Amino acid sequence: MPPRASRSAVLRALREALGPGKVVEDEEIVRLYSREPEGLEAPERPWAVVFPEEPRDVSAVARLAYKLEFPIYPQGSTTSLSGSAYPLEGGVVVSMERLRRIRSVSLVDSSVWVEAGVRIDDLNLELARRGYMFPVDPASSAVATVGGAINSGAGGMRGAKYGTMRDWVLGLHAVLVDEEGTTMFLGCRTLKCRQGYDLVRLIVGSEGTLALVPDAYLKITPLPENIVTAVAFYRSLGDLMETVVDIKARGIQPYIMEFMGENSVKLAASYARAPIEAEGSMLLVSVDVNREATERVLGELSGIMGSRALRVYTARSLEEAEEKKLFQVRRGLFPAQVEHARRTLGKDRVLVIIEDIAVPPSRLVEAVELIREASERLGFSVAVGGHVGDGNLHPAIGVDPEDPEMTRRAREWFTEVMRIAIKLGGTVSAEHGIGTLKREGLRMELEANNALKALDIMRAIKRAFDPKGLLNPGKVV
Amino acid sequence: MTPEEAAEWVSRESSRCMFCGFCEAACPTLPLGPHRAYGPRGRVYLAGLAARRGELGAEGAAGIYSCLLCAACVERCPARIDIPGLVRAARMLLAEGYARAPGMVPVRVL
Amino acid sequence: MASVRAVLEFLADSTLKTGLPVPVPMEEVYSWAIPLGLPRSGRVHLYTGALYQLMPYIERLGRYLESLEGSRSAAAILRLARALIAAPRFTRTLLSPEPQALERPRAILSRIARFLGAAGYYVAYPYEGDLYSGVLLYDMGLDDAFAEVASRVYRVLKEAGAEEIVTVDPHTTHVMRSVYPKYVDGYDLEVRNYLEVLAEAVDSGRVRLRPRVREVVIHDPCFYARYEGIIEEPRRILRAAGVEVREPRRSGRMTYCCGGPVESISPRLASKIAETRLSELREESKTVVVMCPICYANLSRANRLGLRIIDIAEAFDVEV
Repeated sequence: MPPRASRSAVLRALREALGPGKVVEDEEIVRLYSREPEGLEAPERPWAVVFPEEPRDVSAVARLAYKLEFPIYPQGSTTSLSGSAYPLEGGVVVSMERLRRIRSVSLVDSSVWVEAGVRIDDLNLELARRGYMFPVDPASSAVATVGGAINSGAGGMRGAKYGTMRDWVLGLHAVLVDEEGTTMFLGCRTLKCRQGYDLVRLIVGSEGTLALVPDAYLKITPLPENIVTAVAFYRSLGDLMETVVDIKARGIQPYIMEFMGENSVKLAASYARAPIEAEGSMLLVSVDVNREATERVLGELSGIMGSRALRVYTARSLEEAEEKKLFQVRRGLFPAQVEHARRTLGKDRVLVIIEDIAVPPSRLVEAVELIREASERLGFSVAVGGHVGDGNLHPAIGVDPEDPEMTRRAREWFTEVMRIAIKLGGTVSAEHGIGTLKREGLRMELEANNALKALDIMRAIKRAFDPKGLLNPGKVV
Repeated sequence: MTPEEAAEWVSRESSRCMFCGFCEAACPTLPLGPHRAYGPRGRVYLAGLAARRGELGAEGAAGIYSCLLCAACVERCPARIDIPGLVRAARMLLAEGYARAPGMVPVRVL
Repeated sequence: MASVRAVLEFLADSTLKTGLPVPVPMEEVYSWAIPLGLPRSGRVHLYTGALYQLMPYIERLGRYLESLEGSRSAAAILRLARALIAAPRFTRTLLSPEPQALERPRAILSRIARFLGAAGYYVAYPYEGDLYSGVLLYDMGLDDAFAEVASRVYRVLKEAGAEEIVTVDPHTTHVMRSVYPKYVDGYDLEVRNYLEVLAEAVDSGRVRLRPRVREVVIHDPCFYARYEGIIEEPRRILRAAGVEVREPRRSGRMTYCCGGPVESISPRLASKIAETRLSELREESKTVVVMCPICYANLSRANRLGLRIIDIAEAFDVEV
């Protein structure tokens, strides 16, 4: 949609409404807000980036966007990996990075009031002083912001136990792109809330296409008293999955349950240089326990995990796990994938494409096998790993972005992995979101479920929130 | 290293960045600066831009000169890019006149 | 905001013409060594690179140039540099650093020299040849000027007979050990840091230490921890002296910068970073131990929390 007002009129209006320090139009700086990982680059350079410092600044931008008809793109740290945050049609990027106050923490209410730009790890640092935590922990939590996590409906390693963002947002301020830049508080400050249709959960995961969210009330939970960890290696993925079944059958609810395929283990182990004999597939399980139960639970866990394993390593506490470097192999996965891609492609510049499907955990073995076959067929060496507790897989391949033929094959691989998820009764995106990369995948999934009409409903919802289609256009639906 | 060689290296090294942003968690200047140019992800990109274009604007140069070279970012970079090396080389390109930048560089603090 | 270019040219001009980034009489750099009677020649030289001694001046200069903000041009800053280079004695009058601030580094260096002696590491000292390493020029990308400075420093040290040098701060250690070899043809100086020498002597039992403070929180300088891997040595020394060492949230390789390196570009940015770091350090102890004159200056200036900030060389004594 062609913007109605001219660039200079829009910039003038923004500067007037926000003050000059909050509007940056320097071309080089604007570029830094025009890209995302996965090689995504704005096809059309936006006019400016604005930096709201108060919630009312967000409202002012929304009102101007409506009045002058220019698209706006809310951004946190742009780490969603889905293409949900980069601008597509010029317009203005709204960076939430200066909205980073923790407004209040209430243990008795089990809630915290935070602004969108607060990083999840910074929030947890603050909560840890009080013995509490916010449990949603995307792999990028060191930089991922609360606002970005709300937009993308983020999950993480603790997802099997604690769920994802939608389970932890109690209420939020929603700013609409309308005549007034209407700001309304949706949801509740209480844990229970039945406020008609659940608009909060509609906005969480809407990837910034329905409303701007300057701040939110989040649920918090006490830090576990203690955490025990076991890492085991298996000759086959089948053995590993049998072990997962045993753990579940025994009624153990892991805090973290991660797995890495053989290829990933090999890559990560050589990169991380952990003092662990890593071979085969890896299962990492942490369980939160009362201090008194430490020995009993760890004994039980290592017993179950050890019965089929090549070897098992255990730790009685997080400190011990760090000392023994039990998380090192898992943490080394991403850098190892990067390094591996560079070596095998013989290029300095590589892209690591990370998928984000989920299948019922009972179908994980099949899923991994099908992904391996598809990858081989398309000529990629795939590294598979993910959150086994909730069936969320993150297969990854390395791609040379300057090779058009390989880029085409990578797109095909991406689609193929989504097809596998759908075929096994899973979903094309567990926690990264749809963005620009999975719009076709979303359609495929709904079609497979005979639910294409849902797309029409989604578009109608989008129109109800954002009648002029100015908020993060080109994403999701 | 001549400025030409330095520009060649900057261009290559900075192109390794996938823009994942993990480095930003560790940067002391980013939360105090007005925008991403005050953090490693921005600096890596801007260094590359300066090397390829032979110029850098005032806002970008402020990002390059506000860097502490403390290397905290390197510990977080999955590609282990030599980020302080890039910043230093970009300063060299600016100082030796290989890349032009305005004389006044307004380092801003929020 | 002073023009970055002008500040850099000031530092480069002064270093090239006087051997020091701020023109002061050379006695300011070496006077601390006179009472110790360190020999002028020898195989192993203590090379301070003048950073400890000049920090009070560099700090004052930054403030002074900042006070010129807007009102004076880059040309005025350069005229000032020329005038001071011609009359270095005037620098002290103009910048008037606190006498105490000048005294403290001298005392620290003299303690370090005595530690080395106690460790059986007898060092010579180049006096007038203890020139500035040029590290700031390197950091700022002034490669041509730096290369010239580096060859001169190397030549002077070689002429004094040095085969090995002992350095005392992280920036000089890094530049002499890891940067000079790339800029100076045939560079062959062995570089040891005094903390490495002392840690070894303590480990082998050649030196015994006693504490001057009971407990400290340790602030790792970036250039020791991340560039030169000097992390365990200061801890071993402090523990051997019986000082209880507390670790802040971010320490060792994950240490957090004091903010000092950006002082000459943006004093405000530098002090905000220092405030962040101080509040983190305060959680562990009221006494902060630093190992770098830049950390010392920058953290001290921002210290509104009433913390006691000391150099590691002030945290213990050698048992005689």
